[in-house]
Amino acid sequence: MTNHWIDFRNADVILIMGSNAAENHPISFKWITEAMERGGTLIHVDPRFSRTSAKADIYAPIRSGTDIAFIGGMINYVINDMEQNPNNYNMEYVKQYTNAALIVNSGYKFTDGLFGEIDSKGKYTAAAKATWKYADTAKPATDLTLKDPNCVFQLLKKHYSRYNADTVSNVTGTPKDKFLEVCQIFASTGKKGKAGTILYAMGITQHTYGTQNIRAFTILQLLLGNIGIAGGGINALRGTSNVQGSTDFALLANYLPGYLAVPNINDTNLDAYLTRARPTAVYPQGLVADNSVNWLGNYKKYLVSLLKSWYGDAATADNDFAFNYLPKVDPAVNYTHIGIIEALAKGTIKGMWVWGQNPASGGPDSNAARTAFANLEWLVSTDIWLNETAEFWKRPGVDSTTIGTEVFVLPMAASIEKEGSIANSGRWAQWRYKAVDPPGEAMPDLEAMNLVMEKLKELYKSDSSPQAKMVNEVVWNYGDSISSDLMAKEINGYDLTTGKLVAGFSNLKDDGTTSSGNWLYCNSYGYDSAGKELNKLARRDNVDAHPNKIGLYANWAWCWPMNRRIIYNRAAVDLNGNPWDSEHPVVTFNPANNTWIGDVIDGSGNAINLAAAGAKNLPFIMVAEGVGRLMGGNTMADGPFPEAYEPWESPLDKNPISGTQIDPSSVIGTFMNTRGTAAEFPIVGTTYRCTEHWQTGIMTRNLPWLVEMMPEMYVEMSEELAADKGITGGDKVTISSARGEISAIAIVTKRFKPLTVAGKTVHEIGIPWHWGYSGMSKGDSGNILTPQVGDANTSIPEYKAFLCNIRRA
Amino acid sequence: MMEKKRQLPIGLGILSLLVITGLIPAIIRYISGFGAMSNLSDGRGLGMWISFDLYCGVALAAGGFTLAAIVYIFRIEKFHSVIRPAILTAFLGYLLVILALLVDLGQPWFIWHIFVTPNIHSPLFEVGICVVTYTIVLALEFSPVLWEALKWNVPLKIIRSIQIPLVIAGICLSTLHQSSLGSMLLIDPVTVNQLWYTPIIPILFYCSAIAVGPAMVMFEATLTGNALGHRQSHEVLEGLGKIIPWVLGIYLVLKLGDLILRRDIGLIFTGYPMNILWWVEMIIGVVLPIILFSNKSFRKSDGRLFLGALCVVVGLMLNRFNISIIGMQMRAGYTYFPRWSEIALSVGLFSWGILVIWLANKLLPMSEHPVQHVEAPPEPTE
Amino acid sequence: MSKGVLYDATKCIGCRGCQTACKQWNQMPSTETKNTGSIENPPQLSSTNLTKIRFTETEQNGKFQWVFTKLQCMHCQHPACVTACPVSALQKQEAGAVTYDDSRCFGCRYCMVACPFGIPCFQWDTPTPWIRKCTFCFDRQSGGLKPACVTTCPTGALKFGERDDLIAEAHSRIAAAPDKYVNHLYGENEVGGTSWMYLSSVPFETFGFKTLQEEPVTENVERAMGYVLPVLGGMAVLMTGIWWITKRRDENKAKAENKDEGKAVTK
Repeated sequence: MTNHWIDFRNADVILIMGSNAAENHPISFKWITEAMERGGTLIHVDPRFSRTSAKADIYAPIRSGTDIAFIGGMINYVINDMEQNPNNYNMEYVKQYTNAALIVNSGYKFTDGLFGEIDSKGKYTAAAKATWKYADTAKPATDLTLKDPNCVFQLLKKHYSRYNADTVSNVTGTPKDKFLEVCQIFASTGKKGKAGTILYAMGITQHTYGTQNIRAFTILQLLLGNIGIAGGGINALRGTSNVQGSTDFALLANYLPGYLAVPNINDTNLDAYLTRARPTAVYPQGLVADNSVNWLGNYKKYLVSLLKSWYGDAATADNDFAFNYLPKVDPAVNYTHIGIIEALAKGTIKGMWVWGQNPASGGPDSNAARTAFANLEWLVSTDIWLNETAEFWKRPGVDSTTIGTEVFVLPMAASIEKEGSIANSGRWAQWRYKAVDPPGEAMPDLEAMNLVMEKLKELYKSDSSPQAKMVNEVVWNYGDSISSDLMAKEINGYDLTTGKLVAGFSNLKDDGTTSSGNWLYCNSYGYDSAGKELNKLARRDNVDAHPNKIGLYANWAWCWPMNRRIIYNRAAVDLNGNPWDSEHPVVTFNPANNTWIGDVIDGSGNAINLAAAGAKNLPFIMVAEGVGRLMGGNTMADGPFPEAYEPWESPLDKNPISGTQIDPSSVIGTFMNTRGTAAEFPIVGTTYRCTEHWQTGIMTRNLPWLVEMMPEMYVEMSEELAADKGITGGDKVTISSARGEISAIAIVTKRFKPLTVAGKTVHEIGIPWHWGYSGMSKGDSGNILTPQVGDANTSIPEYKAFLCNIRRA
Repeated sequence: MMEKKRQLPIGLGILSLLVITGLIPAIIRYISGFGAMSNLSDGRGLGMWISFDLYCGVALAAGGFTLAAIVYIFRIEKFHSVIRPAILTAFLGYLLVILALLVDLGQPWFIWHIFVTPNIHSPLFEVGICVVTYTIVLALEFSPVLWEALKWNVPLKIIRSIQIPLVIAGICLSTLHQSSLGSMLLIDPVTVNQLWYTPIIPILFYCSAIAVGPAMVMFEATLTGNALGHRQSHEVLEGLGKIIPWVLGIYLVLKLGDLILRRDIGLIFTGYPMNILWWVEMIIGVVLPIILFSNKSFRKSDGRLFLGALCVVVGLMLNRFNISIIGMQMRAGYTYFPRWSEIALSVGLFSWGILVIWLANKLLPMSEHPVQHVEAPPEPTE
Repeated sequence: MSKGVLYDATKCIGCRGCQTACKQWNQMPSTETKNTGSIENPPQLSSTNLTKIRFTETEQNGKFQWVFTKLQCMHCQHPACVTACPVSALQKQEAGAVTYDDSRCFGCRYCMVACPFGIPCFQWDTPTPWIRKCTFCFDRQSGGLKPACVTTCPTGALKFGERDDLIAEAHSRIAAAPDKYVNHLYGENEVGGTSWMYLSSVPFETFGFKTLQEEPVTENVERAMGYVLPVLGGMAVLMTGIWWITKRRDENKAKAENKDEGKAVTK
């Protein structure tokens, strides 16, 4: 999230899209309810009328997978309204804080759904991507009248001019008047002093163009001046309690902790890596602010400090700080879930350690995953319960004698049986304590990892090969004194010359004199006023010290970066440092002593007009050009502007918006993953979660109170579809896709309605993915139906829009 | 006589079988709980056993106090012959209620709590105390039959000396609890049907009990008379039959008057489907007996008198069932119809009662008149 | 002094945290349930399920609504169950809760019949059954805590406080947003008032809340019970009087007959 949970109550309009916040993040509704009590309006855009929609002032139905059409339509609406009524918008924000005015490369061309030439694999060529840049890549020119046909604003306007209300309604199935109502109300937050926030979750991300869905939100919020202010922002409601922590610490194939790029085989040394990964500052010309801070220019400091924390004295300037000890990826290989299944199927992976995960039910095309596991020689499952992955070899319908995989199950402690932190969606890392001992042999993950690492070190002790150095030279000698508290300190980092904890990432150096396990978490562990060590994640001061009580709670736990609760907050003030919204100020500049009052200010420096020349800092410090990107750069795989494509499996044979059917750069799995047609599978399927169960259900399907509430696998459908198929509520039904079949109990409800899309009736059904063949309450896994196709940028699978059919069992 | 006696063993055999069948649900209840042997549920906590065994059972045992009042208080001589069967029927009726409650109550071993932590506002508390006390009174009232058979004169004399206080106590207790069974329903204006719900339910219950007392005595006396040869005199039967229309007349006035004053009289036409049951109950149990029993020629035949009494009994049972179970609105999402085991239990208890009556009539001096405690006439002086 | 809870259905998100918190606090076992075509489960309140959320789909004035309703004992101000219970096992506490003492109960189930809301539930599966219903977390309240369900509710749909304060608050909520609420606080006056009161955006009958009289249902019973002693005394006097009259009549008749007989004999 750019903002945080409590901040929702500051919003005038809350748009929940691609999320069912009431069911999957019920505590969020504490703050949303407060916002509504204060006069706020809640809009819910979703294929399904859920418990969130029940609370919304406005509910707009939408066909799964058509979010870009919808948001693009909102962008179109805002741009047109902006030109008619500029006083209803914060034009100063748009012109000075976004790249609206910047002039783009004249070679940029968008034709019939494509942003240039694509190769045989669907990837844009280097030549094409080169056009997604500013005309001057070092010092881009600007047109503050926003009229230049090559300025970002005009290109944006032209791109979304096709997304008029009729077209949007035609593609999404949302009734036109409902769509316009949403536009009108959300656009009203563009005014100075008004705030609109967007809450989203997997309904937005789990598509072949999921990243572009979010980019569309970015454009909308930048146009409305909603980034950096209280009650604004783009707020991902993360799918599990600590997935934020897991991505912060790079439980991802493409990152090192702190979202640093993972090295690849072309990075032969540290300099080569930095040349590729470290952005160069770009200085827009003609804006009032003249300095682009380009915070990621500090890349080397963060990487070197990371390497020092891992390799200690073995990392020196002479060996590139042990840079070459890091594993390097092959850019041509997909290391994500879909790629792993392919590799398993090919037999190139000998053994797999599945730590706190359940890919047999949690990933797409479950049958493919379960089949591919059989090629493993060994599989380790570390989890709280026996899950479908650990039991894949004896699942129903399989002869276990034909599977040679040796499966090890290591029981682990649950969250209340160990000490440590959890990072919520608002980036707040909150320390938690152990309440009870884990049962039997179950142990906390940290203890398990410690034992594993100690054993590895013992095994590699006498090995002198270069690969062995990766293990031998890692600093790991905790013995029995390993603790989360110790880890928290290492993560914060030390000044190695003094042995003191570093105060913040501004104190990290690139010369090997500092260490930090994660630069983002610098400042999380420090010293109190008496000089005693203080774990800020454990702070619990529930007094909101901010003068305008916007809910910052700066002394409750700690958030990254630097305990800044609302990021990009430099955009919350005008050029003089005065808040756009005087009733909900985030930061205010005090010229008397050149300080900022309120939240931790983003980057250093005075307010723009009160800073010296060359030090007038642009607000978007993490972006190389310092301004928010309406037009994305060439770091996106599939284009600088979000464009509406159809899902890989679509009920429409033809994309109504352009001649390009699907996102050309989607990742398409090659193992099993049969593709279905609308003729055979005319119904749109979407998967989702409910309040009472959790993920693949392994925790919750073993808890009797929860099973009592939600005892069986079910599917939700409209009364019209049920009547069509002769299905009554409570019937057992079979749902099929090109990849498999499942059984479920039918819930027939008014909450699903057929949509009229491109002139025909399209039905949609909702499928929870909480069940599997393990545990107390058994049932079929929803993911047996889903396709192994992934987002062009992240490979996140398209769980949310595919094709299926349904019949009475 | 010989032929009649041969009929009984088969009947006795069936009755005994029914008693044993009735024991099975009771055993199941004590092993597995109510769910295993009844269709009672949270939507219907009290069912057939309460409507039949308690409500009908107590009302149909009204013969005890009504005949006791007629014979001992109003001292109408001609009904002496029927007092002992009346008391026995009543006593057994109350015993059956207690036995039924031993199964129906959730934790009957705690029933003594009504003496320890009473709630005087509760009609059920009052019913409980009265039923226990009155059963003891009935036992004492019936005991002379036993003492006579055993020829134990001391207890006989003691009981006879407190005869009248016992009778008065019995009448008072009956008045209280016959009406309080109705008061129990006063707490339920939400689910009891408007055709029956009125603040005067207790009065109506009392009145209908007074009517059914004599009717039940007529009914039971005729049956025992036929089966065992101790026929009651026509005079007695007709005498009882003459009382009934007066009582039912008052009842009818109260019923209709109440509906009119409550402005709910229209419901007897519009309150479908329950109004049908109301009409059946009123016609069979009230109107028909009034008309028939008022008719002198009707009263000439013992058989017809029996039928008239039967109508009153059936009408009373219908009334109790209508108000407490059939007409009572079910809670949403629930249904109720007694399970075979619930019926078997009630039938078993009832069969046991019949067996006891047969035994008593065989072994005890049921048809003898109780010795009157009157002053001996002075010896003739000449 | 008397506590209550205001349940504002417009704030309820149907998350069922309350349903689970109650289970957890009372350490209730779970039962086997089936999905009969709805996410609502278990289907009814029971001896192991003291509160639940009811889900109702409805269309009001052309707008589709999915309404959530929390069900539990209403802790009436004039509880029918308290009047009904012959052994005072159910009591209305000064603090508002209607508590149940299973050390007094003998399982007559009259409370189940008496309750206008059909709340008390019975343990049908054991030979030593008790009644079970929401306790208003009287034990927690005695320790200065709020009921478990109120504590868990994320949105403040459940608000605990003095009954009078809640009534005032409810009416001010209605006044502040008249389009959002049906203009009625259910439980303010129904059957004499209840501790648990409801605000709703749709008519109360929509989710099965009947229109009820304002008079407590205990009124007729208490009046009838008030007559017990007078009737007892009156009946005793009446019967004694009649007996005395008829006895004298019989004695006089007998004396007259004897005199006649004596006369006849001596003649």
